[in-house]
Amino acid sequence: MNDNDRKPMRKTTAAPCDIFEEGGKIMLRLDMPGVTKESLSIHVENDELQISGKRDAVAAGAGRYLVREIPDRDFYQAYTLDATIDRDKIEAELVNGQLIIALSLKESEKPRKIEVVART
Amino acid sequence: MAIMKRPTDVYDPFRELRVLQNEINDLFNFDRFPGTAGLFDRSFSPALDVTESEDAYTVRAELPGLSEKDLDVSIASNVLTIRGEKKEDKERKNGKVYRRETWSGSFQRTLPLPLSVDAGNVKADLKDGVLTLVLPKREEAKPKQITVKAK
Repeated sequence: MNDNDRKPMRKTTAAPCDIFEEGGKIMLRLDMPGVTKESLSIHVENDELQISGKRDAVAAGAGRYLVREIPDRDFYQAYTLDATIDRDKIEAELVNGQLIIALSLKESEKPRKIEVVART
Repeated sequence: MAIMKRPTDVYDPFRELRVLQNEINDLFNFDRFPGTAGLFDRSFSPALDVTESEDAYTVRAELPGLSEKDLDVSIASNVLTIRGEKKEDKERKNGKVYRRETWSGSFQRTLPLPLSVDAGNVKADLKDGVLTLVLPKREEAKPKQITVKAK
């Protein structure tokens, strides 16, 4: 049994997420305040994109709480990827507590222009 | 509560009822953050934690997506005000939006401070979307240990 097993599991919640198209890519923008690059992990398993981030707990010795509104929960959410998403071209970026994931479409799914050849 | 204008559909008079039902269901859906529209727009005031230790008060606020330029923190007559604006992206308006759960707009939170706070030495730090303010206590307000001498 390692250290991790002994720790009580923290509850998780899904981070608020915006999904939109930008420049032919599908973008996911998640609000994950308090999550650092080290405590964030993104996995693609089968058809699932799993995003989990640990909200860093208040440093020990911070004292007693007078107001407590920030939920003591980690972030976890899984999204299903459909067949049009290229699994090898997923980029992620963490800026000011916002995680931005760019999902590219497969080359075969992109709109194509068919050239018309005029024969005389 | 936000005043929202929805297009009314004359062919579906029960639409409003279904919308209300969905919003009420959303209230009991503890798995997710509440949406930013409808019955819930509490997300517009960012969550705060205030802790007290022996020599300082610490205020933490969750402000994802804000940079220090968007923030204005001030203390006037022992009232702390955190004000800011989370700007919506312009380019997002042009593209197709599939889902929107995050909030944007301006907010303000005020917090009355105890008299023991030394307002001149406040430190503010914004990192990973969390604003941390350290408000030290005045020297005379800190607890002092009195040693008892035995004779």
